[in-house]
Amino acid sequence: MRFLSDLWRILRNDKGALVGGFIVLFYCLLAIFGPILVHVSNDQDANNAYLPPSWNHPLGTDALGQGVLSQIIVGARPIMIVGVLAAIITIFVGVLLGLLSGYAGGLTDSVIMRITDVFLTVPGLPLIIVLAAVIHTTNPFVLACVLSITAWAGLARAIRSQALSLRSSDFVEAARLQGVSIGNMVGRQLLPNVGPYVAIHFLLAITGAIYAEVGLFLLGVAPISGTNWGIMINLAMSQGALYTTDSAFYLFSPMAAIVILQVAFVFFSRALDSVFNPRLRVQ
Amino acid sequence: MLRYLTKRVIMSLAIIYIVLTLSFFMIRLMPGNPMAALESQLRMQGGLTDQEIQQRVAAIYGVVPNDPILTQYKDYLLNILHGDLGVPITNPGTTVTAIIAEALPWTILIVAVSLIISFIIGVAIGSAMATFQDSIFTKVMTFVVSFLSAVPSYLVAIMLLYVLTATYRAFPAGGAYGVDVTPGPNLAYILSVLYHAVLPIVASVITSFGGWALAMKGSAVSVLGSEYVRAAESRGLSDRVISRSYVGRNSMLPMITQLALSIGFMFGGSVFVETYFQYPGIGYYMIQSVNQRDYSLMMGCFLLITVSVVITNLLVDLLYPLVDPRIVNPAARKKAEATQDGSEDVQALPVGGTVA
Repeated sequence: MRFLSDLWRILRNDKGALVGGFIVLFYCLLAIFGPILVHVSNDQDANNAYLPPSWNHPLGTDALGQGVLSQIIVGARPIMIVGVLAAIITIFVGVLLGLLSGYAGGLTDSVIMRITDVFLTVPGLPLIIVLAAVIHTTNPFVLACVLSITAWAGLARAIRSQALSLRSSDFVEAARLQGVSIGNMVGRQLLPNVGPYVAIHFLLAITGAIYAEVGLFLLGVAPISGTNWGIMINLAMSQGALYTTDSAFYLFSPMAAIVILQVAFVFFSRALDSVFNPRLRVQ
Repeated sequence: MLRYLTKRVIMSLAIIYIVLTLSFFMIRLMPGNPMAALESQLRMQGGLTDQEIQQRVAAIYGVVPNDPILTQYKDYLLNILHGDLGVPITNPGTTVTAIIAEALPWTILIVAVSLIISFIIGVAIGSAMATFQDSIFTKVMTFVVSFLSAVPSYLVAIMLLYVLTATYRAFPAGGAYGVDVTPGPNLAYILSVLYHAVLPIVASVITSFGGWALAMKGSAVSVLGSEYVRAAESRGLSDRVISRSYVGRNSMLPMITQLALSIGFMFGGSVFVETYFQYPGIGYYMIQSVNQRDYSLMMGCFLLITVSVVITNLLVDLLYPLVDPRIVNPAARKKAEATQDGSEDVQALPVGGTVA
């Protein structure tokens, strides 16, 4: 409760973060309920292609005469699901390896850190593109695994350095003297202390995953099937949207949807940052 | 010093070896096994004996698919040591190495220039934001910079294409230089190269300088609050001396670390930019080869991007002692790493996103 009142106070003072928070919430609701309320019909009618915005189609229509707005709404879910899944995997692996490495020390630490160094150095996006091209999957979970293939490494590094400083603190010393198990040590003693950092990183991991995910669809590396924002932009581009103003709404609506979501995530994460780091509030 | 150097070099070689091994097994053991696909495709065409099929596949991938996997692995590594990355499926007349050798300089041009420009702009804006913390400039810039760093580079590329290339035709739609110039050290060629590089560079700079500005601001603010700056102030040193010798140098340290980390990200981001502006760099060929299922070219591009990133990281690592002399002295290094790890935790993310 303390956390919520802090959060509300910060959000009230920081309008950007407040708006960001509401937009993130709105997109989550859209991803959950959108596909239930709106359907992209299968009947294609070329007579209705590239209609300007109207009461029936507030954002106009695409080359097949289907409403752009309804596609945007339906397309929210696949983007959000993969983004959140990838962030969960990133956080899980990063926190687990970071805490283990920082707490266990010695050989375990060296081995985990060398592996982390490798994943930090290998360029993530090219690796993701290569993996996605070879696997060519439509399964959201597999796609999420691919997207988080290198993202966990930076987090593991940061968590390790926090675990290192926690290890020498009094309460961990006390727990060790009581002989608690390693599971208890990691889960009960260390995890709560890195929680805030993890929460912020979770939001940033979602934006990172969405960036790469949409990019894969844009480049045509991920299979083009179904409806999502990346596929919409890809189709609009390949139908020559750059060279005509007819399809401007079809091209720019999904772009706007992505930019608004990404910016909202960043502004909201900044507010979370100042809730958890009182130091930042003074500055 | 020597120990520091050898450690970095060995680590870089190890990473290159691991990526080579990874790419070898990926092509063979992954669900979409491109080598097996090529074999069955040749078999479907008919008219070829088993041995001929093996020879065709061997010509493209450089190893004989019927050999035991370890023999293939050995052949593959030997080939790569000789600079032989195989033959592109879509263009058997040339080699993967030749295509990459032509493409790599363009990618390095785009990545290096946009990295330098965005670093300089970002550091300048970030220091200004840290110095005048309550000014309107800082408030406006914080918004602008957070906004821009959240916008994906490919969307900026599409916007630039739409406005500057398709609508106003102010910039070329592709290529690294015009068809009407002869490559060589002449003015027309150099101007044409710069003209074609403008949009890809601008697209990367727009989306990456914001990250640098925020990182620099954070770094400078934390240095401003430290004891030795206060001590210097109370000794009556001038603002100029303090900002140059105390704040400037010390807040640059984490920035140099981030510079190394972000090189990989820039290479990744250039894939989008190159593809959209049809700029013939490595990323462009990589996406072309993905779309044409040309896996030998794709893996060649990926390997070269990785090697470039590892080598540039190594260079940054080797230059680092010039900025931070503590690094080469083992005892001082331990201490420096410990304090750095502690202070870095707030901004350990590589600039530009989490997918570094």
